[in-house]
Amino acid sequence: MSASATGLPTTRRTSPGEFFAQYGIVLVLVVLVVSMTILSPILREGQQLFLTPRNLIQVLLQAAINAIIAVGMTYVITSGGIDLSVGSIVALCGVLSAMVMRDVNTFNLFGLTFSLDGPIGAVMGFGVAVGVGTLCGFANGLLITRLNLSPFIATLGTMGIFRGIALVISEGRSIYGFDQEFKNFFAGRIPINETLELPIAVIIAILIAIVFWFFLTQTRLGKYTIAIGGSEETARVAGISVQRHKVGLYALCGFLTGIAGALLLARLNSGDPTFGGLFELNAIAAVVMGGTRLSGGQGSISGTIVGALIISLVQNAMNIFNVPSYWQQVVIGTVIVFAVVLDQQRRRASRY
Amino acid sequence: MNNLEKLLTIDHISKAYGAVQALKSVSFDLFRGEIVALVGDNGAGKSTLVKILSGLIQPTSGNLIFKGRPVHFRTPADALAYGIETVYQHLALVEQLDVADNVYLGRETYRWGAVGRWLGVLDRRHMREQTATALSQLHIKIPAPTLPVSSMSGGQRQAVAIGRAVTWGRELLILDEPTAALGVEETEQVLQMIEKLRDQQGISMLIISHNMQDVYRIADRIVVLRQGRHVATINKPDTSPQEIVAYITGAKEAQVAPV
Ligand SMILES: Nc1ncnc2c1ncn2[C@@H]1O[C@H](COP(=O)(O)OP(=O)(O)OP(=O)(O)O)[C@@H](O)[C@H]1O
Ligand SMILES: [Mg+2]
Repeated sequence: MSASATGLPTTRRTSPGEFFAQYGIVLVLVVLVVSMTILSPILREGQQLFLTPRNLIQVLLQAAINAIIAVGMTYVITSGGIDLSVGSIVALCGVLSAMVMRDVNTFNLFGLTFSLDGPIGAVMGFGVAVGVGTLCGFANGLLITRLNLSPFIATLGTMGIFRGIALVISEGRSIYGFDQEFKNFFAGRIPINETLELPIAVIIAILIAIVFWFFLTQTRLGKYTIAIGGSEETARVAGISVQRHKVGLYALCGFLTGIAGALLLARLNSGDPTFGGLFELNAIAAVVMGGTRLSGGQGSISGTIVGALIISLVQNAMNIFNVPSYWQQVVIGTVIVFAVVLDQQRRRASRY
Repeated sequence: MNNLEKLLTIDHISKAYGAVQALKSVSFDLFRGEIVALVGDNGAGKSTLVKILSGLIQPTSGNLIFKGRPVHFRTPADALAYGIETVYQHLALVEQLDVADNVYLGRETYRWGAVGRWLGVLDRRHMREQTATALSQLHIKIPAPTLPVSSMSGGQRQAVAIGRAVTWGRELLILDEPTAALGVEETEQVLQMIEKLRDQQGISMLIISHNMQDVYRIADRIVVLRQGRHVATINKPDTSPQEIVAYITGAKEAQVAPV
């Protein structure tokens, strides 16, 4: 494609390379689903273990927590940053939320005693997780903007700090024995019809994806995020409060990670300071696979969701075929490398 | 020069970067409706002065007086609020956004009433229409306001950047090397646009350039900086490109007494 001062083609022809770069990820998803559907009965003595409502729901459930974190990560990466601390935030949120729910049973207000069992306790547990997550993200944002640290270094540091705090306050032990109301709701399922029940976590993930797709593509929040990732200085001279916006983005990522932390806590029925290991790897993998540029300035929520689904499908496939779970990390790491290679090719393809 | 109405007074502005004195007590006036060229060798302090005038950095000492009132630009937003627009050579546009999103960057309009305003829901249709109108009034030809900047030529980008600044800048337009990256034809287009703006809109402009031919052609007055010092202010009819160069290099001694 060529551009001159006098005239420009108004329509762009899409080359095969560009087409693959744009829709390749969806293609990968389709190929994975089709090949799993065919391979599963062949390799497992005629049993169709993959294409069952039960298993597919399991795939969605596996994807949900990663997808929620990855949506926040999409914003951070689009702005030209990165957040390596999300896994540690998950652990800290889980531990603190579990401890508060376990230990705070009543509180007094104006001489009245309120019981914190039941729904109020569940809401409080969720509130603690989300609040702690947001505060952690806020701290990341302040470190990056006030101390002028690179996002990589700042969140590498807080990755250690947040997990360390989780270990200290839990004394390295799992926290359980908290209100069942919390688990019942956040690990619950909503019946769609007689045979199908959708997990709450999946519904929350879908809602988050829709809301934050809207914000990224249709609002000032998304536009400024793209502008900052594209050229921070240009955004600054245009009068945008870049620092404030960046703090907000890390707080947003922490907020969504807090929600993910609450969902994980409900699912595993305990808060543990070692939970959330390599969550940053999975989230970043989903984001870069989905076509968001690691260098910033471009991001796609729908791509991120497809990326999270692919990761979940790969994990599911390995479970079905009894591949040891240790291999999963090798595969996810490889997927990240491939995604980045794909991204570089795409960038070359979009140049003229 | 419309009755010499003062727009902006730069009053003993100094800027130190650690031990480096980038600007040493620079003073001069900008009048309404004139084009002033700011010239000087590499490192003379031109960009530093521009950054101070646009609120990107603060002077170490000295004052800015805008329309007779002392002003302090703490952020770019402050300078923008006074109608001072700056086009930086490399920071003019965000490549990843389209033309309309760039023209309205930092000045978005919203739909869905109060709720939409609060959520920041962009009224892209309105901004695109307004952008198309504004650019066509300035005779800037762009196929569509939805064109991504990454697919535009250098001349088109510069035209859009200037168009953006003119759209919002009511008082003063500052252009940092507006033609440095452009070819002959594109340079000519931009120069014509600058002249047209002065003649038709009566807007003041401060233009940095290393090209003496361009400077001599479009400027009403020329301000020369040398090693952070203001060494000369010359009216165009009284000078020649050779004399300007002599001031820049120091072959000709300072005309402005050090203060
Ligand atoms: N951020 C900074 N930190 C330290 N020194 C700086 C900084 N910015 C500029 N300087 C110094 O201030 C002096 C003036 O620089 P400035 O960029 O204003 O020059 P200029 O006239 O715009 O030059 P050019 O024609 O090369 O663009 C130079 O000596 C430069 O090295
Ligand atoms: Mg300069």
